[in-house]
Amino acid sequence: MFARLVGESFARNPRRKVLTAVALVIGMAVATATLTIALEVGDRLAREFRSLGANLLVTPESDTLPVEIGGVDYRPVDEGAYLNEVDLGKLKTIFWRHNILGFTPFLDVPASVSETGGATTLIGTWYQHQVRVPDGTEFETGASATHPWWKVQGRWFRDGAAECVVGLSVAEKYPAALGIGKTIHVAQEGASADIRPLVVTGIISTGDAEDNAVLVPLSVAQEISGHPGKFRQLFVSALTKPADALAERGERAQTDKNIQLTPTEYDRWFCSPYISSIGFQIRTVLPGTEVHAIRRVAETEGRILTRVGMLLWIVTLAALGAAALAVAATSATTVLERRSEIGVMKALGASNALVGGIFLAEQMLLAIVGGAIGFFVGAGLARFLGESVFGTPAAPRLILFPVVLALAAIVAMIGSLVPLRRAAHFRPAVILRGE
Amino acid sequence: MFWRMVFQLLRGSRGRLAVAILAIVSGAAVISALLNLDLGVQNKLTQQFRTLGANIVISPASGAPAQISAAEVPSLMPERDVLEALRKLPSAQVTAAAPYLYIVARAQNHPVVVAGTWLDQAQKLDATWKLEGNWVASRADDARCLVGRNVVRRLHLAVGNPLEVHYLDRSAQCNIAGIVDAGGAEDNQVFASLRAVQSLANLPGQIGLAQVSVTGTARVVAEYSARLAAALPQSQVRPIRQVAEAEGALLGRIRLLIVSMVLLILILTALCVLGTMAALAMERRKDVGLMKSLGGSISRIVGIFLAEVGVLGAAGGLVGTILGAALSYWMGLRVFGTAISPRWEVFPATIALMIVVTLTGALPLRMLGNTKPAEILRGE
Amino acid sequence: MVATLVQVDNLRKEFGNVRALDGVSFRVDAGEWIAIMGPSGSGKTTLINILGGLDTPTAGQAMVDGTDVARLDEAGLTRFRAEKIGFIFQQFHLLPYLTAVENVMLAQYFHSTTDEKEAQQSLERVGLGDRIEHLPSQLSGGEQQRVAVARALINHPKLILADEPTGNLDEANEDIVLSLLRELHAEGHTILMVTHAPSIGRLADRRIEFAHGHLVQSAAALKPELA
Repeated sequence: MFARLVGESFARNPRRKVLTAVALVIGMAVATATLTIALEVGDRLAREFRSLGANLLVTPESDTLPVEIGGVDYRPVDEGAYLNEVDLGKLKTIFWRHNILGFTPFLDVPASVSETGGATTLIGTWYQHQVRVPDGTEFETGASATHPWWKVQGRWFRDGAAECVVGLSVAEKYPAALGIGKTIHVAQEGASADIRPLVVTGIISTGDAEDNAVLVPLSVAQEISGHPGKFRQLFVSALTKPADALAERGERAQTDKNIQLTPTEYDRWFCSPYISSIGFQIRTVLPGTEVHAIRRVAETEGRILTRVGMLLWIVTLAALGAAALAVAATSATTVLERRSEIGVMKALGASNALVGGIFLAEQMLLAIVGGAIGFFVGAGLARFLGESVFGTPAAPRLILFPVVLALAAIVAMIGSLVPLRRAAHFRPAVILRGE
Repeated sequence: MFWRMVFQLLRGSRGRLAVAILAIVSGAAVISALLNLDLGVQNKLTQQFRTLGANIVISPASGAPAQISAAEVPSLMPERDVLEALRKLPSAQVTAAAPYLYIVARAQNHPVVVAGTWLDQAQKLDATWKLEGNWVASRADDARCLVGRNVVRRLHLAVGNPLEVHYLDRSAQCNIAGIVDAGGAEDNQVFASLRAVQSLANLPGQIGLAQVSVTGTARVVAEYSARLAAALPQSQVRPIRQVAEAEGALLGRIRLLIVSMVLLILILTALCVLGTMAALAMERRKDVGLMKSLGGSISRIVGIFLAEVGVLGAAGGLVGTILGAALSYWMGLRVFGTAISPRWEVFPATIALMIVVTLTGALPLRMLGNTKPAEILRGE
Repeated sequence: MVATLVQVDNLRKEFGNVRALDGVSFRVDAGEWIAIMGPSGSGKTTLINILGGLDTPTAGQAMVDGTDVARLDEAGLTRFRAEKIGFIFQQFHLLPYLTAVENVMLAQYFHSTTDEKEAQQSLERVGLGDRIEHLPSQLSGGEQQRVAVARALINHPKLILADEPTGNLDEANEDIVLSLLRELHAEGHTILMVTHAPSIGRLADRRIEFAHGHLVQSAAALKPELA
């Protein structure tokens, strides 16, 4: 009988319920959308931050001081230590291999260019290179991943080809000789006998030291310098989680013998993509190296991600609050509107508990239906938001479905309870008289 | 009588109005808090990005800004011209600026990059430097220098030790004030006062490079860059693309995200207020019928109710906006560590919005214009 | 010679398929107290709603104080309600958030200007001098209806229309309100009162019987003799 009463009450007079229904659908849609985004946004933004470039630097452990100005190493090729190119595939075997978005080796060679008659540095690197990973797959990486702000006029050199990209400042000084399509002749500084021709395929401008240099494929630089298969430093772009207390302890434990992590702490640290734990794992597969966070990038990223994350959770909470309020307010209003129905029921002898029960059940039913519809609308909204802000749609999280329904039901209930309790005190005659 | 009626209406319907007031106040609070936040966030985030370092670099027009071997003359530009141009920039946006002169000197027979610069700006240009020891406060201090940690390690030195560097046939000495841990190329360099390095290299009044850190959007940076370029026709002025581009794109995304969520909340809040207002108005139907029967025209009648909800909207909006200002202040502290001060424009904007929304909710009563009083009074 | 205040000619009112009034014609002179009687659903309330400008007829003519109510537009009806009519409802219809005096002033407000003193006096006139600042919830049914009477009179209407004025009152209050109406009649007011109770109908000068939207011939003469 109760169910029948609820059913009848629910089906009758749909006009009165429109407001609550609309508030429920829109409210829960907003709640779903904001929660979906909030859950994903950390990941998405972290990925966005990789546009800042590499956040880890790998260098040989026992090395002489790099003579580095503006990122270009001016050391003669016979000085200092080298790393082996063949080892690089191992980077995609570490625990956090899926977070390694890209890595790029560099070998700077002091050289001379016949056309300019002067000394220029050759920066040997990968732009888009296929690395063989020990598990048999191939991984494409290079400056396209770790230095995404490098843009060329013309096109980049092909991997391993006798081509090059000239820095803007150098090209501007010798526009005729160093234009796109021209061939230049380079040799190691001091070894002018062994001259290589390279075709200029593009001109690069970064605002940094590359503008004054010539970029060549790593293999070309290796040949010219007489160090095949070698490189000096490696830039790595990894998807990391902002540092917190545990991350810092883990980092300090690397160097400070007094700080020890407990086995549980160690596991948690190792299994979190902190920059310190990824760096540690890299060092494990590349022996004889030092791995440091490029702090400028890592810290800025960490700081901003933490703040923005916090901000977005606050906004999400505000959205949830607004949604809850909308539903509660309209529930309350609807119950108030239907005072006369309550009066009639009480006049017919229904107890407060029964009347309250019917109304609550009806509101909850409405909440569940409205909430369910709202969830699907919200999922669509989240996809749209994700698409317009990040370029890829945000996938709906099914776990939110029961959460949103529960929220709708609870809030509708709370909203209805207050006016229902007041109505319980009214005498039917008063209500029916219309006061 | 008009205002007496409005007052009595407000006083008499307290219970029904409670929900409406709650909706208005919290709606206004949320909206004004988010509006304040939105305006403040971009500022704060832009400041955060300054830890990426300089975003404009000034270099000589002709080629490499560095000296490759001791024998070659580096590409240089006059210090005075650059400093003049920098001085003309409005200082509010400039976080830091410093000239550089790089030479490759020798210390303990190792080649070492020595950078002459304004040591007082070092910390501001790169906020991620960690320092063991002390910063050098004055750019005129020739006696002390900051040394990168790799240099210190290689040369087996420590804070307080003297460091002697040789260039061609000259040498100079400085005291190590602090060891720099930059997590970058600076770990391999020595930083001394510009004067000292200029005199060591015998290049008085010359610098190889200048870096500027400017706060603001990508457009602001581009503007400054253009202004500097115009003032320095003999030099190249370029935004550092790594920083400028990434920052621009990121800020854009974050802003878009926040704005879209704010919009959603705005719509929701407006809906909530509208709904409760509309429900309230519907409750007044009978009163409208009665007043029509007394000879009231629909415009006068609706005017009374519009005044009622208008007062609600204004009062609730005011209280809510104040709450919202407090809320955004607290949020700024919590998220950024510094308070976001409320913008005065948010007050009238939010209150106006609330009034408009509440008035819109009462307007359905206007539709009773042509309904006969008998019909209305007949009851539901 | 007494002036004709109300002249109804072939008045028809249809609600969809239902004919509430089916060609009603009658006349009321100034100063008369008419009781409109009949079973529920006979069209009595519809008739005085039309005469009071609260509803419009489908066809026919209804002259009240020289104005054809059937031809008035909304603006005209508004003025008519304020100036010519004083309506007393069965359910009182006082605004619950206004005090007694404010409810009376409401009628003044829509007519021209408010005069609190005059409103107070009108309440004293109906014996509510000590209830001036009370809200309707603080008044008994009879007191509420008396406020309604004061409200109906405040603009010196040409015609007082009362729809079952004592329908919601107990016997004691009913007596009070009815004696009030008697006083008004004695002062020369024209009253059209709807009632279903013969005992109340007998207080009036004339009774008009309604059934199924028609006038039914009654014992009392339809048209009074010219005096």
